[in-house]
Amino acid sequence: MLEAIFWIVFPIFLVAAPWILSGIGTFIYQPKKKQQLLVREQASAQRGDVLSTLSKPLSGKEVKQTQLVLANVVMSPSWIQILIGGILSLFGGEINVFTKMVDWSRREAKQRLREEVEASDFDEVINMRLETTIMTKTKGGKDKTTGVEILAYGTAIKY
Amino acid sequence: MQPQVNIPFSNTETIPGVTIVQSMGVVTGSTVRAKNVFKDIGAGLKNMVGGELRAYTELLQESRNEALYRMLVDAQARGANAVVNVRFATSSVAGGAAELLAYGTAVVIQ
Repeated sequence: MLEAIFWIVFPIFLVAAPWILSGIGTFIYQPKKKQQLLVREQASAQRGDVLSTLSKPLSGKEVKQTQLVLANVVMSPSWIQILIGGILSLFGGEINVFTKMVDWSRREAKQRLREEVEASDFDEVINMRLETTIMTKTKGGKDKTTGVEILAYGTAIKY
Repeated sequence: MQPQVNIPFSNTETIPGVTIVQSMGVVTGSTVRAKNVFKDIGAGLKNMVGGELRAYTELLQESRNEALYRMLVDAQARGANAVVNVRFATSSVAGGAAELLAYGTAVVIQ
């Protein structure tokens, strides 16, 4: 009897386990990471944002030293987010889960650039650029999206 | 860690504070790289949960540095002593491999 119950429950568990994990990732792990990012962003904003401009240096001060700085991050949506995104794309319109995810990765990449510059002795970053690439993986002859890579780069300058 | 080429490079049109004397043409550097199969499996599992895939972040960082290094070597071979207007392009070749391209204008500065 016990064995019969085991053989009914076990396959269900095998199928459900990844989805339970995915749920934990989506609703507990990801919000926690986003909260941490928000704290880091606020700390940076208090020290004064180093990402100053997307063009030439604004102040006419003499620049002593320059260096190219890079920061990147690869983010992937969870299974649940892919499922929700798939359902939403049937109806069209904004796909909220992906908007949030890409926004999150872009903020993360920019924050890493800020932290890298804050750790060095440069004053600010000029000419900041953002670049997005979709990472794919071939599975059964089909290209599946595994994640999105965001690269933030710019020129760090020292007055 | 890879060897360093000590010439200034930036993604602005000019390097602030110096004068460009001569342009030496466009220089490029590229590389295609992949992580090992175990890291790929790990990333596949992390995919379930969502969030950052650290193995791939690392992979792209390493390869981008390598592409930059090759670009600088190319610039040095042409007799330039700086690179301006550096741009990056990324494309993912199938199977967890990524192609990174760095390109820019090699110049001679005073």
